[in-house]
Amino acid sequence: MKRALILTLLLMTSGAQAEVDLVTLPSREKVQLTIYNSADLTLVRERRNLTLKKGWNWLQFMWANTLIDPTSLVLEPLEQKDKVEIQQLVFPARLRELGRWLIRSETSGQVPFEITYFTSGLAWRAFYMGTLAKDERTMRLEGYVRVDNNSGEDYENAQTRLLVGTVHILDQIAELAKRQYPYGRPVVGGEDGGGYGGYGFGVSDRKGVPILGQVGGRSNVIDELGKLELKVIKKEGLSEYFLYTIEGTETIPDKWGKRLLSFEAEDIPVKSLYKYDEERWGPQTIRFVAFTNDEKHNLGQTPIPNGDVKIYSQADDAGYLSYVGGTGTKYIPVNEEVELNLGPARLVSVEPKLMDFKTENYVFDTKRNVSGWDEVRTWKIEITNTRTLPIEIEITRGFGTAYWELKLDGQDISYQKYDVMHARFKLNLGSRSKRVFSYTVRTYHGEREQSLTEQNIKSER
Amino acid sequence: MSGKRNKLMLTTIVVLLICSGMVQARIKLVALPERAATVIRLDNPQATLIEEERVLTLQQGRNSVDFSWKGVSIDADSIRLRPLDHQDKVTLLSVSYPPNEAALVWDIGSDGDYAETVRISYLLSNIDRLITYKAVGDKAETMVDLTSFLVLRNFSGEDFDKARVLLDYGEAFEQGIAHEETKQMLFLKADKVPIIKVWKFDAAILPWDPEKLENKNVGIPVSYRIVNDPNSKLGKFALWGGKARLFQDDGHESTIFLGEDVTGLVPVGEKMELYIGDSRDIVVTQRKMRDEQINLIKNNDDKVVLFNTDEIITAKIENFKDSPAVLTMIQHIPGQWDMEECNMKYVKKDASTVEFEIKLPARTQAGPATKELTMHYHRRNVRP
Amino acid sequence: MRLWIQAFGLVVVIASAIQAKVDLVTLPTRDTVQLTIYNSADMTLVRESRALTLKEGKNKLQFSWANTLIDPTSLEMLAKADADKIDISDLTYPPRVQNLGLWNIKSGISGKVPVEISYLTSGLSWRAFYMGTLTGDEKTMRLQGYVVVTNNSGEDYENAQTRLIVGQVHILDQIAELARRQYPYGRPGEIVTTEQLGREFRVRRAEELRETVAGAEPAARPSMKPKEIKKEGLSEYFLYTIEGTETIPNGWSKRLQSFDVDQVPVVNLYKYEEERYGPSVVRFLSFKNDKEHKLGDTPIPGGTLKVYRGVGDKGYLSYVGRSAFKYIPVDDDVELNLGAVGDVVVESKLMDYKTDNLRFDRNRNVSGWDEIRSFKIEVRNTREIPAKIEIQRNFNTPYWTLTKSGDFGQFEKVDVDTVKFTLTLEPRSAKKFEYVLTMYHGVRQEDFTRGVKAQIKETAK
Repeated sequence: MKRALILTLLLMTSGAQAEVDLVTLPSREKVQLTIYNSADLTLVRERRNLTLKKGWNWLQFMWANTLIDPTSLVLEPLEQKDKVEIQQLVFPARLRELGRWLIRSETSGQVPFEITYFTSGLAWRAFYMGTLAKDERTMRLEGYVRVDNNSGEDYENAQTRLLVGTVHILDQIAELAKRQYPYGRPVVGGEDGGGYGGYGFGVSDRKGVPILGQVGGRSNVIDELGKLELKVIKKEGLSEYFLYTIEGTETIPDKWGKRLLSFEAEDIPVKSLYKYDEERWGPQTIRFVAFTNDEKHNLGQTPIPNGDVKIYSQADDAGYLSYVGGTGTKYIPVNEEVELNLGPARLVSVEPKLMDFKTENYVFDTKRNVSGWDEVRTWKIEITNTRTLPIEIEITRGFGTAYWELKLDGQDISYQKYDVMHARFKLNLGSRSKRVFSYTVRTYHGEREQSLTEQNIKSER
Repeated sequence: MSGKRNKLMLTTIVVLLICSGMVQARIKLVALPERAATVIRLDNPQATLIEEERVLTLQQGRNSVDFSWKGVSIDADSIRLRPLDHQDKVTLLSVSYPPNEAALVWDIGSDGDYAETVRISYLLSNIDRLITYKAVGDKAETMVDLTSFLVLRNFSGEDFDKARVLLDYGEAFEQGIAHEETKQMLFLKADKVPIIKVWKFDAAILPWDPEKLENKNVGIPVSYRIVNDPNSKLGKFALWGGKARLFQDDGHESTIFLGEDVTGLVPVGEKMELYIGDSRDIVVTQRKMRDEQINLIKNNDDKVVLFNTDEIITAKIENFKDSPAVLTMIQHIPGQWDMEECNMKYVKKDASTVEFEIKLPARTQAGPATKELTMHYHRRNVRP
Repeated sequence: MRLWIQAFGLVVVIASAIQAKVDLVTLPTRDTVQLTIYNSADMTLVRESRALTLKEGKNKLQFSWANTLIDPTSLEMLAKADADKIDISDLTYPPRVQNLGLWNIKSGISGKVPVEISYLTSGLSWRAFYMGTLTGDEKTMRLQGYVVVTNNSGEDYENAQTRLIVGQVHILDQIAELARRQYPYGRPGEIVTTEQLGREFRVRRAEELRETVAGAEPAARPSMKPKEIKKEGLSEYFLYTIEGTETIPNGWSKRLQSFDVDQVPVVNLYKYEEERYGPSVVRFLSFKNDKEHKLGDTPIPGGTLKVYRGVGDKGYLSYVGRSAFKYIPVDDDVELNLGAVGDVVVESKLMDYKTDNLRFDRNRNVSGWDEIRSFKIEVRNTREIPAKIEIQRNFNTPYWTLTKSGDFGQFEKVDVDTVKFTLTLEPRSAKKFEYVLTMYHGVRQEDFTRGVKAQIKETAK
């Protein structure tokens, strides 16, 4: 019972609108679906050939058990545009899921038309699988899209396009489709807010309007057997959006889903990085995999839509894999860096210990109260890498104040002033090794802050 | 297991042939391929990766293969199919998900008739492993025989007849495990692992003066310390965390249970400390004998704004056991401080913690072995 | 949930419920049982020895229990002979069956093999209690120690070698909870809690191992003297082994004597501490767990104590009071609190109070002063035996000095703010002493620290 859209051309006899001569119409010639992932919205474009007669023609368009926004219906002739005029679209009283166009035609015969409308219930999402090489320096990334059809309608041989981007809509299509009256009703004594506010959405009771001309059953007709190649998804940019066009046509019956390979990139150079920042993640070391969506990394042709990522790694030479972890990624524009947070690392640990603490350089005000002092802390940081691979780790330390001075007890590492209150250390560790370094940080409090500023000014000169 | 004892109850694969014109595609059955080799990888506690090999009979053209997993917790997005024999001649064209079913349909194109081995991989939840330890110590408490058991828990909904099970390390082993079955296997055995017995008194945790307690003992926690290195007959790989139960040979061909503790992951070279119980045969009585403010600095209102302290802490340690022991005593001094005099050697663990290792001889006829610690220190620059 | 494949031409396979029923080795009765019962936790280590008849190759041994609480994760089996030929490779807990474990044994020999099965069970406990009898002059005491073993495990134990453990054992999970869990090791991802299965073990004869413990060997000829308990130290614990074997049916208890020592020299100690005991004097019995006091073999496990006193010559007793022992190590002091008494009295009177040495600050506010209190203490012993009395006084500041005079006995500074006077009084006598306590407040504390302390020390002696 899924064949829902029916076009009926009503032949008008002069005067009496009520007599209807039903002509069986041909099925859709072509269908194009443009599915948005940021909203429940799909733009459908159908192409049909209608047989018109000279004069006035009524065309009735009905749908049942499928969510179409009636306010989005548009009918356009594709040929003989000068001779054919779409006069008006009527939504008759007390009838739902039905619209009638009044067409004025100077010609008679077959005219191809295009009908467009918004429907709800089709959705797509992207997800990814990354496979790290054994040395974890490169990664193979496969992007997939999954299209789910819950619209109530079977779509056969539809050209399918997926749109990436955030679109701004005022009303949900599903709600517009369920409204009792296509444009709502005027508000009694109320403001006219553009015609959409304050109308009750009558929950439609679709009592199975008999559908004529239905082609039976769900079918899974496969097109030409000759074409056994993997479908390619073409990607192009349009305004603020990216459009993914799937090669050929797709058939997705109602309630089914389909998974397609969106892209496959080999040998993406990645950086396997560990980070430790107590203020952000507590006492855990977090593992990251980083790369950039650009050509150098064998990517960069299109942005990467948001979706879940699962990362595997090569466990042995026989091609077996091991699951490393999963995360979600946001939308990544071309040339932007990606850092996938794979969660706490079990095999790398960082342990900071406060080894010494003292205060000095007390300053007193005119009332002889304490007005400033220094705090000197010596920290020892111990990093343990129990992996069989060398790692790179970034440790961020915060001092709670912008007035600090750091001295490292050792020559083999350096630090970078990350921002006013934080310092960052970068280290490399070999496989199965431990590294220890210590530093002394002096923080200035109260009046002593001034003396640090003066010190800095002096040293800059 | 013979082909007849087919325990593939829960995941099924059905290969279908589609000829042009056939419409009811999902039902026709040709042959049921068995699982050839299955690998269960338990190295990630979040999800278990299953890779199984099957032989599909493919015909030239398009083949539809149905894979369903009713009642099994498989992550649908993670399912992947890879042909192994003719990788360039067999292509996965599309994947479809039928409505309201834990299933999917693969559309596979093949340019010839093959019996193709494919590898199917997916992430399975509710199947994992635990590690437990059992240590039996000798009477002298100098070494233990350590055994470790691997416990497989399978609540995934799927039966595994015979699979190769892999962990982070160690050898793979063949096992079968049914749904809702739990299996405990011997995993590691190391005899005569040397241990050190540690008694720890942490002044921040334990009460100082037993006399002030109403007729109650203060127990000093006792732990066994094991090092995961080759000298201890270990050191080949990290020891996973799990519950450890300790026993001791009682000298009468039997054992007593000493206690149990849970250990975290112990990488190579690190220590495992298992807390067994409390000793009430070592008694510590700690008191503060002096606590004065000195070097006062005052403001114009004659209020103290900064001062130092002069503090003395004494701790009397008595060993009532008939064997010697080493007490690890941890003392805490906050803020900025320096020690003026201390009659025992200590190690500064961090800015506010010092640790003493106090050797106590066994008790004698005259009574318990007694040692007394005296710490005389100053805290500096204290703000009231 | 199982999916049954039903389709044309396919063989539907039914799996057998428990593979275990095939080739099961019959489990013979137990030969010997050894119980090691802990009192600091509800836990007993059971060791049974049995003789199995194995065949060469694969054997399966099923061990099941009912109405008794056994922790399945603690089950273990060891071959006692030919251990190198016998491989006990794994233990399976079959699906949907509880209170059952299945061992897979690979045997290189066929025939009878002695094995030992051990496990942890709940429901057996023991406690110690004591009776002390003082002689008329209260100079010595007869101390008798008892242990009571109680069996609430649901299982009868006959001819079991019984051992008791004194000591604080650390456990993570209660054995009773582990025994009641639905799955031996829980399920992945769940926090394991006790599953209430509504199976309370009832006090009746339990059936175990599919065979009842029937046809026990005729009891050994009863010995004519009460059983001895052997005591030895092991690690941090003490092991009390009851001579021979015990039979304790389910629900029963058994009492045995642990030791009986006559003429333990004791001292009557009286304590007075206002902040702790109020205005009354509390009586303590003090002695030492050492050889001088006829004890000192083993530590004394904690337990309640009832103290009696012999009156007259005919062996009549009078009840003095009750107390409790905590765990007493060998050579340690024992102090048993027998409660407040009226026949030894301490009276403390504040005779004088004044302040002195006032100091003023810049604003003419009081910034320091001394508080001087004079106390008179009177101690009376109305008994016919001598008494030792400890008087403890607490101050609320560490800045004080004290001068004393009179019959104050021994003076001791216990810690920064506590002092103790110890006196010994003859029967029917009294003693008096005074002391003057000076407490320093405010800036006078600095004087105290700086040097007045030294001066005062000089004058005090």
